[in-house]
Amino acid sequence: MLVQAAKLLGAGLATIGLAGAGVGIGTVFGALVLGTARNPSLKDELFRIAILGFALTEAIALFALMMAFLILFAL
Amino acid sequence: MFNSPLEQFQILPLLSFGANLFDFSITNAMITTCVSLIFFIFLFFCLSSYGLNCFPTRWQLVLESLYISTAGLIWDSVGPQGQKYFPFLFVIFSFILISNVSGLVPYSFTITSHLIQTMVLALTVFIGVMIICGSTHGFHMLSLFLPGGTSIVLAFLLVPIEIVSYIFKPLSLAVRLFANMMAGHTLLKVIAGFAWAMMGSGGLLLVAHVVPLGVLVILFGLELAVALIQAYVFTILSCIYINDAIVLH
Repeated sequence: MLVQAAKLLGAGLATIGLAGAGVGIGTVFGALVLGTARNPSLKDELFRIAILGFALTEAIALFALMMAFLILFAL
Repeated sequence: MFNSPLEQFQILPLLSFGANLFDFSITNAMITTCVSLIFFIFLFFCLSSYGLNCFPTRWQLVLESLYISTAGLIWDSVGPQGQKYFPFLFVIFSFILISNVSGLVPYSFTITSHLIQTMVLALTVFIGVMIICGSTHGFHMLSLFLPGGTSIVLAFLLVPIEIVSYIFKPLSLAVRLFANMMAGHTLLKVIAGFAWAMMGSGGLLLVAHVVPLGVLVILFGLELAVALIQAYVFTILSCIYINDAIVLH
């Protein structure tokens, strides 16, 4: 019972990592908006780089999700 | 009552062959792999490149735009030396794209939502990259682990960090694709579960179940985008690793 409760708590706590990922994705797209506003002719190239940055940042969020799943189901 | 949202990832044997150590049973994962490989890639590529013409048919146009975008991707990130790896990267891209997208069909099975499948792809890329690096640079390849211009004292600190980050490259490549797919499909199932439970309880909730259903439709569009973006990201990261192996730094 106590272990079950601790598992649920731990899985919930693992989602705190998503805060950082939210900040990161916001920074990526904020920088994209700024860059496009300064030089609209680079829009396509900047968008490609931003998508790459978005995916790299999102992966960190998914590591947090992986930890939550590991705590819930694998231990 | 609905089942667990993770139930969709179960690998079920449809025809059992062999014992526990050598299990060759035909599973739903294997059938989906065969369908996406044979039916989609082979049949699609054969049919759409049948009778190539200066005035392309619609199918030929789809194939051409796939080809051109992958070629442009490799040209931008690796340059002329990377052109000989084009067939491999094109197959990687189309395989991941087609297995991601065909996994979104209801009641089908997502191959890339299993870590073993994405790990095989990532390790294939990574072992290939190490072979490329070793054959072009020999022992000079070890300078991958030492950024240029570091002092001896700092090297003791930097080399272990670089080695660890090098080892985690294929792992993160695999986990990124796998976790994106699994998280997306779990999310879809959870939202669909909301709508299903609300529909079952009757009364006012029966009307309100349209709300999670609408969210589900929007999320489905997002998942289609994620399927494309992840295939793209996997390919571009493979390109970057190949570029690192050729150029060193």
